[in-house]
Amino acid sequence: MNSFVLADPDKCIGCHTCEAACVVAHSGNDLFEQEESEIAFYPRLTVIETDEVTAPVQCRHCEDAPCANVCPNGSITNKNNSIFINQDTCIGCKTCMLACPYGAISMVTAYQDGQKQRQSGLRTNAEGAWSRKERIVANKCDLCDESGNGPECVRVCPTDALRFIVPGQIDESIARKRTASAQLLQQFGSLSGY
Amino acid sequence: MKKERPNSFVIAEAGKCIGCKACELACFTVHNQDNGVAASVGTVTIPVLPRLYVIQTDSFTMPLQCRHCENAPCAGVCPVQAIRQEDGAILIDEDRCIGCKACAVACPFGAVSLYKSYGNGQEMKQPYLKEQQNGRLERKARVIAYKCDLCRNIESGGNSASGEMVSAGAVNHYGSLTENGGEPFPACVSVCPEQALTLVSPSLGESRPRTAAGLGSLRSLRL
Amino acid sequence: MPNIDPIIHIDEQLCTGCRRCAAVCPVDAIIGEAGTPQRIDEHRCVVCGQCVQACTAYAAESEPSLTSRAEKLRQRGQLSSVREPLFAAYSTGHALELKEALADPKRYKVVQCAPVIRVSLAEEFGLPFGTLTPGKMAAALRRLNFDRVYDTNFGADVTIMEEGSELISRVMSGERLPMFTSCCPAWVKHAETAAPKLLEHLSSCKSPMQMIGALVKTYSAELDGVDPANILSVAVMPCTCKKFEAGREEMNVDGHREVDLVITTRELAQLIKDMGIDFINLPDEPFDSPLGKYSGAGTIFGATGGVMEAAIRTGYELVTHESIPNLQLDFIRGDEGIRTAAVQIGDLELRVAMVAGLKYVSSILEQVADGTSPYHFIEVMACPEGCVSGGGQPKLLLETQRKRAYQARKSAIYRHDSNQKVRKSHENPAIIKLYKDFLGEPLGHASHHLLHTQFISRSAKEELS
Repeated sequence: MNSFVLADPDKCIGCHTCEAACVVAHSGNDLFEQEESEIAFYPRLTVIETDEVTAPVQCRHCEDAPCANVCPNGSITNKNNSIFINQDTCIGCKTCMLACPYGAISMVTAYQDGQKQRQSGLRTNAEGAWSRKERIVANKCDLCDESGNGPECVRVCPTDALRFIVPGQIDESIARKRTASAQLLQQFGSLSGY
Repeated sequence: MKKERPNSFVIAEAGKCIGCKACELACFTVHNQDNGVAASVGTVTIPVLPRLYVIQTDSFTMPLQCRHCENAPCAGVCPVQAIRQEDGAILIDEDRCIGCKACAVACPFGAVSLYKSYGNGQEMKQPYLKEQQNGRLERKARVIAYKCDLCRNIESGGNSASGEMVSAGAVNHYGSLTENGGEPFPACVSVCPEQALTLVSPSLGESRPRTAAGLGSLRSLRL
Repeated sequence: MPNIDPIIHIDEQLCTGCRRCAAVCPVDAIIGEAGTPQRIDEHRCVVCGQCVQACTAYAAESEPSLTSRAEKLRQRGQLSSVREPLFAAYSTGHALELKEALADPKRYKVVQCAPVIRVSLAEEFGLPFGTLTPGKMAAALRRLNFDRVYDTNFGADVTIMEEGSELISRVMSGERLPMFTSCCPAWVKHAETAAPKLLEHLSSCKSPMQMIGALVKTYSAELDGVDPANILSVAVMPCTCKKFEAGREEMNVDGHREVDLVITTRELAQLIKDMGIDFINLPDEPFDSPLGKYSGAGTIFGATGGVMEAAIRTGYELVTHESIPNLQLDFIRGDEGIRTAAVQIGDLELRVAMVAGLKYVSSILEQVADGTSPYHFIEVMACPEGCVSGGGQPKLLLETQRKRAYQARKSAIYRHDSNQKVRKSHENPAIIKLYKDFLGEPLGHASHHLLHTQFISRSAKEELS
């Protein structure tokens, strides 16, 4: 079973700290030393705000991840109890973005060593003249796997609205709920009458 | 327009249950004819994955399963609408399920479990999703949400083995009607040796008949 | 295999204490409080395996606190390829041991199959209840590397010759009546435990399985020119107590175990699957001669009343020297409980009783102890409907199917009987030849040495010392 981060909308105050922390955690450079215009602000979770509720939404690391099952070249795999996008091999086909029922995948510019990655072959005239096109890849929550410290969003949330759920916790919670509901029923007595 | 009626559900009496797990076994049996499960234990080639769970505590034992909630939280959180109400039962469309676990987290009873999916007695594999296993990237097993379907998806017939099974055990029982109308008996109900399980089929706007015994239980609520 | 292992076990890790096993135990040998793991009183236990059939407390795959499945299989003597769920109540398996022995090219491997394996084995492969597969079973056993595929049905025919003759002689002399059958080892163990004073009422015949075992190591060894010490004698039985019977010390002939290994119907199916044999598509093959040729009478031993019916078919003709008017003795056939009948054989009105289910036997035993038993001959089968419902038979997933399964297995047995050309034991040419060439006459010197036995008192007092 995979791990994932889950938000409690009742606790979320919509402060976007998690988004900022996500960007910092995934930025190779020190964000605060960069020019504002150069900052690639691509958080891997999005705080959704409606009239009634705010909460961040992010990848649920589905067991049968639809994104992975539509990826044409195997760039999305199950790794260390998470669904992982290999951005080095992603061809930017956007199918995973369409497939994800949570809207947890977005397309972003790929950076390497603080620089936008440019393609060797593909040329574009988007900037007026023909130039090597920047690489655009699928991006989503990776549970801050590389840091080894667990998801940064969970750590920074001022209201503890985010929880990191690891395999086994769901089973434990299901077992707890089963026992609790059986406890409630057991005092309920005979069902005669039905 | 057809009048809406609350969903039926199966519920157990702790006082009667002896903890034998016959209900779990029966549930698994009738749901796995496509996996080659016929009448005898020897035909089982996959793990026993029931859709109800016998809970044992120090003081009592009873099975627990989906209550087919009218405003089912599991269905409310399903991102792919794989959980729907169909003919008065909350059912999971296993083909649509993406194993996101939201329903399992949402259910307050713990009635939804995620297990590997099986077909023809074999683990079902993902179409493309791969996972690092034994140092190699291999196709990952499909994992889906399981819960009680009131034995709605059980088909009779099929191969000779399951046909035999259904005609021997299931149809005799599924074919018979409950007192309050028209619904087939789920396997757990028909197999329980202590009649500890009941299929409850309520009507809209009506409550359970009040009995002296019910009033008696009020006494235990006094301060 | 000496009898150190009690054969029937309850796995403490899996037992939920529902006590459904106690409800089917005919001798109240299951002890424990409801809701806690049960244990078995080995002294009382008759090893019938009805608890194994009834138990529904399976090992859930998701339970992390359990001993691993692989380890449990090993402890239970089961093949590592077994995929079916494991239950709290189980019988010690010998398939693992047999698989190793079958791979030994130096041993001469002989197998016999009880009458009811051929009416139930198919269930383990998903075929309908009552599917008859004697030919596929023989073919499968050959592919498992057995050198000779023999049949316990032939042993049943020998039993009828011996037990029928014994009955006639005891009825004529009026000695030690009524006479009980002795082919059900669970009944024999119960008699030894609960009624040691009445043991002289048991027929001195060994069971059909032991008779075949004895003949395998003598008669057939001679015919095949094989050293009996080199023979592996295997029996496939619907019964868990046959494992106990084969291990009884006295069950040897000239120092050789009559039956070296017993596996159940379920274990045979597991072995067939383990070896990758496509059972359903096997061709029909015959059993080997001479211990594989049987009559219809031999085949009905598997159902309650079968021994009685077979004995009457032969006894009638031995006494009256006339052909029995009707071969199908419907009044003998039936279900669980006690049935009685009176059969006119010449001048004699033979009064018989059939007990199906060991829990019904106590009233019969009381009558015998009081000297008030009206019967000449009493058949006792420990299991509810005889061997068709034995503890080693395919285990049903749904209790609701039990009645139907037993009925179908029984009607398959009777169907098999009515399809045989020879339906009386004494008319089986292989039996006639066995007595002509080897045994001489029923109850003769050779028979006494090979086919008859003595019983042991197992009263509680002895157990304590």
